Amino acid sequence: MIDVLKAPPFATIQDLGRTGYLHAAVPRAGALDRVALAAANLLLGNSRDAAGIEWGLGGGEIRFERDADIALSGARATATLDGQPFYVGRAGHVRAGKCLHVERIDAGAWLYLAVRGGVDVPQVLGSRATYLPAGFGGQGGRLLRTGDRLPIGNAPTKSAQLEEVPPELLTIGIDEPIAIIPGPDRNLMSNAGWDWLIETEFRVSRAVSRMGYRLEAPVSGPALPGDRPSAPACVGTIQLPPGGQPIALMPDGPTVGGYPRAAVVASSDIGRLAQRRPGDPVRFRPIDVAEARARLRRQEELLRQLGGSA
Amino acid sequence: MSDLPRVEPLGDAAFLVVLGEGTDRRLTARVGDLASRVRRARIPGVRDIVPAYGSLAVFFDAGSDAAESIAEALALAAGEPEGHATRSPGPLHVLPVRYDGPDLAHVAERTGLSPAEVIRRHSEPTYDVHFLGFAPGFAYLGPLDQTLVLPRRAEPRRRVPAGSVAIAGAQTGVYPLETPGGWHLIGRTETVLFDPTRDPPNLVSAGDRVRFLPVDP
Repeated sequence: MIDVLKAPPFATIQDLGRTGYLHAAVPRAGALDRVALAAANLLLGNSRDAAGIEWGLGGGEIRFERDADIALSGARATATLDGQPFYVGRAGHVRAGKCLHVERIDAGAWLYLAVRGGVDVPQVLGSRATYLPAGFGGQGGRLLRTGDRLPIGNAPTKSAQLEEVPPELLTIGIDEPIAIIPGPDRNLMSNAGWDWLIETEFRVSRAVSRMGYRLEAPVSGPALPGDRPSAPACVGTIQLPPGGQPIALMPDGPTVGGYPRAAVVASSDIGRLAQRRPGDPVRFRPIDVAEARARLRRQEELLRQLGGSA
Repeated sequence: MSDLPRVEPLGDAAFLVVLGEGTDRRLTARVGDLASRVRRARIPGVRDIVPAYGSLAVFFDAGSDAAESIAEALALAAGEPEGHATRSPGPLHVLPVRYDGPDLAHVAERTGLSPAEVIRRHSEPTYDVHFLGFAPGFAYLGPLDQTLVLPRRAEPRRRVPAGSVAIAGAQTGVYPLETPGGWHLIGRTETVLFDPTRDPPNLVSAGDRVRFLPVDP
């Protein structure tokens, strides 16, 4: 068991999410930064989709009832394990009764804690991911609370290939552009409208959630019709509501929507966008689908070096 | 248009198959038929199939090499002659409704009908389930009686109770969970439309049919 001694401000149990229920309007859910969770899992010899804690917005403390192997990935954080500094991107052994204390998150938004064997909450619709809007999955479909006790699983594990997450997978890089693919409704925009999307430096607004991140532009974009017939959307879809301020859909976001889909964030870059905090800058760089796949292959190679294949 | 049906990317992990634009009932039915054909084709690598108005999204693992073969299979499926109305109608769900919603009087006023007439016109048709969206288990049902067509509320409610029966535009539906919502609430049902502990979790699916049965409040 893991005892939550002091719950972080916004933490949920997440794996890589659900497959096969989008037609029932059940979003994928799962980690906002999938690469970070996968890396932490692989470092421990877990399968990459084992459930861990998605730990957001600030510090907290947990205690391990029995010996465990754990790893942190994702955001930069200041943490100690049994009083000793514990670094993001490396695995560590924790002895029974000892604590992991995360003092603060220094850069990025989401820290992932993986534990060898995975967090063993019940599967709901094939996944342990928490889906907050409907209150299911994870720990009772809700945020972690102080006093929660989380079972650790005994899923088979193997030895990892590396002792640290490759730095390239841990780059927060808030100044780097986010790769986007033109969306199905790109043609509702004039070329000037598209240029606005590409040339604007957006800021992540305070309205961020696991459903979507609102982005703020100093000058609003084109006013497109906002009540089109509902059409399929996906994680990473950049919607452009009539107000001209975009919304990037995240893993708890809707499966269909009526706002124009100006662009879609490349799969490789969704986690990098998700790691931006309110006030952080966001610029976009358009790429085509072939380049998006190449970027993903590069990420896959790095994950494979960590711990074997998908 | 000559470029329809069209297969186009929705990011790097999905394709859209676009059959047309609009909310026309026949177009929606064609999207539903295509969804069934794609499902039956069991295309390797396909993970999710999501119909909506005028188009269908087909999801796959972005990291797999299957994208090209999936696009080809989708183009083939979209190009197949459409069944000569061979599709048998899906199951009929009858949902008991207490027509005591907070917007019933407002809907009556806006449409110039009596509340009883609003109830009659809402509960008479058998609706098609176009597709699910917005929230888990939320089914877009139509077509609504022409006289009941109203734009959404100017101010969406922050909380719509689970089981609320609502109308907006040419559509009607039931909120399966407590969510925000901008439709007009005319009644409520006790029937559970979404239960994550069931599999499938959704009571109704695209292609099914729904009727509302008025019961005493």
